[in-house]
Amino acid sequence: MQHKRWMFALLALLPTLAIFAYVRIYPIGDTLRLSLHKWDILSKNKPFIGFANFEELVGDPLFREALLNTTIIAFGVLLITIPLALVLAALIYHRTRSRLAGFYEAAIFIPHVVSLVPAAMAWKWIFDARLGPLNALLTSAGFAPKSWLFDPVLSVLCVIVLCSWQALGYAVIIYLVGFKSLPTSLYEAAELDGASAPQRFWHLSVPLLKPITLYVSVVTLVSGFNVYAQAFVLASDAQGAPGRQVRVLVLDMLENSFRNYRVGYAASEAVVLLAIVLVLTVIQFRLLREKGRS
Amino acid sequence: MLKSATTTSLKQHFARAALLGSALGASMLAGLSATSAQTVTVWSGYPEMAPFYEHVAQGLKAKNPNLNVKVEAIALREHEKRIALGLTSGVAGATVIELQGSTVRRYLENDLLPKAPDAVASFVKDKANFDEFFTSNASYEGAVYGVPLFRGQAALYYNTDMFKAAGLTTPPKTMEEYTQYAEKLTKRGPDGNPTVSGWSLRLTGGGQGIAEKFWINLFQYGGSVLEPTTDGKWRANYANEAGRATLKQYLQNVHVLRTVTPEMPADAEAFERGQTAMFIRESWVIGDIASKAPNLTYATAPLPRGSIALPTNLYVKAEGADSKAAWDFVMATNEPENLTWLLKNVGWLPNRSGVDYSSVTSATPAFGAFVNYPKDYKFFTLPSIGPIEEVLTRLAAQLTNAFRNASLAKDDTAIDAFLKSASDETNQILRREGLLGK
Repeated sequence: MQHKRWMFALLALLPTLAIFAYVRIYPIGDTLRLSLHKWDILSKNKPFIGFANFEELVGDPLFREALLNTTIIAFGVLLITIPLALVLAALIYHRTRSRLAGFYEAAIFIPHVVSLVPAAMAWKWIFDARLGPLNALLTSAGFAPKSWLFDPVLSVLCVIVLCSWQALGYAVIIYLVGFKSLPTSLYEAAELDGASAPQRFWHLSVPLLKPITLYVSVVTLVSGFNVYAQAFVLASDAQGAPGRQVRVLVLDMLENSFRNYRVGYAASEAVVLLAIVLVLTVIQFRLLREKGRS
Repeated sequence: MLKSATTTSLKQHFARAALLGSALGASMLAGLSATSAQTVTVWSGYPEMAPFYEHVAQGLKAKNPNLNVKVEAIALREHEKRIALGLTSGVAGATVIELQGSTVRRYLENDLLPKAPDAVASFVKDKANFDEFFTSNASYEGAVYGVPLFRGQAALYYNTDMFKAAGLTTPPKTMEEYTQYAEKLTKRGPDGNPTVSGWSLRLTGGGQGIAEKFWINLFQYGGSVLEPTTDGKWRANYANEAGRATLKQYLQNVHVLRTVTPEMPADAEAFERGQTAMFIRESWVIGDIASKAPNLTYATAPLPRGSIALPTNLYVKAEGADSKAAWDFVMATNEPENLTWLLKNVGWLPNRSGVDYSSVTSATPAFGAFVNYPKDYKFFTLPSIGPIEEVLTRLAAQLTNAFRNASLAKDDTAIDAFLKSASDETNQILRREGLLGK
């Protein structure tokens, strides 16, 4: 009977597992295989070249630049999004009974669902060195205008701001779900013991929300490493571009695949990205779980 | 009475049947006509070319009313990605593909595009129709694969009002004069920062455009990004005096004289809005100005030494009857009436010889610099080698960093070191592909 149940469960899951394997596992496996080959996307020949692609990656300045930019962007977004989302979610949760509670949630969440390209275009205008409102604000406050989209450091910062603005809404919503599931008895007890609101937030909410923080930080970091469209749109233009192209890993991969016709080489970059994301996810799991236990 | 009622009912029955029959017949005919309709899709990398292909399709409608032409014109770099993915994964139906001769090589080496039919090949090989340069650009190993259509050829565009205001009566004739003119033409705000650039240079952005524009300037100094070697291969040729002069001119204009900055609006759009006094670009700008800034007062001039000539050809990916419809469309693009329309309304220079374009060139003096150039005027094109895009894209990435580096501006040794490093990278790419000459 037990065996039959197992068989039924397995058969019921099989179609879903098969689709998952085809659209998720197979491409990863094929990317791993391609990273060990030289392939120009057009040719039927894909000679095996071992780790030559990876060896070349080590000495490739564009790859190193892309890796550095992507890492800075991913961690920058993480560092901005997580604390800010936690604080915003706490404030919104605190105002749950307010008539404007729905507005607060919607206002924070809308950037996450807004189409990326028009949003990035709007940010491009905000960051515009000559006509942008950001520089207008700086000038009126007595500061010198900045070349936001042209300076190598500031252009990376612009991408971080845009990505954080987008990621924040999702993180806040997830934190709100977490806040709503916290046991109220603990807060009541803490209040009776004389704990202030900030103390309750710091000593109760933050530790109790660690599983949520783990989930949100993994999702934010992974999407941060996959940044592409934001960097592309901020610098894109049919003629001469209004900004400096911030080279990120996905952009470098696309360029190597479809402009330089080096799919095997781009696959090796994808493998490096996969390894980084996996390692960071494992580290995050360990750190937060160990702290949770202690 | 009963009889009459029965008759009426029968009449109504027949009327309904007849109506139903007619409707069925009409829908069957419609279906038949739908099945005989042919769709040709045109993939273009130049959005401004869309009206031209639609014009050609309109002309073909008279001969072939069932022909449906779908024009899909997108930005060039996205178009190139579409071709790389589309041709390898299979293109449905008849597709006419616009491709530069320098890019198509890989596709032909891998049998991803078919040879042109005999009649088309004869048309392309006919010296009365095309110069040998264009025929060979559309061919591979002696066989014709594409039909030449237009070329990218550069000239100087300058705002005559701004020249007049700066006391300049003729366009610059040497590269040294370009810098001197740029200095005189730059307009500055109270803080000394330029508000109108004297000479718009391509300084930022992604893709190989930056390197192509650099190559055009380098060519004026006698240099070339790549040069052929005696063994039929290639090597970098810009880590030299010409390369130093070219890069130094960019750096001087950006950092020393500040006639232009990376933040300033650039290119055709800036020229049309009066935000730059002069810039170097292809002939399509003439059509663009006509539609976007018809009141702009400007003129064109040949470049000091010569220009790039980058031919774009049409190729076909189709089979059977679809193939014939697609090649018919391609041939129609080269009809004299259509080529004249192209020149007049879009501005790209048609490649076909023996067509009288004088009605357009005489009515639009700006074409003068593109067709009436000096006798010793020289042309270069991008080599048809596999890694050309990678060479240019990587050089462009290096140049973007160099243009921002103010410390290079007054340091020839640093410029030489930069050029040597970039040139080594170019040669490394060629070596990896077995194309590095001695």
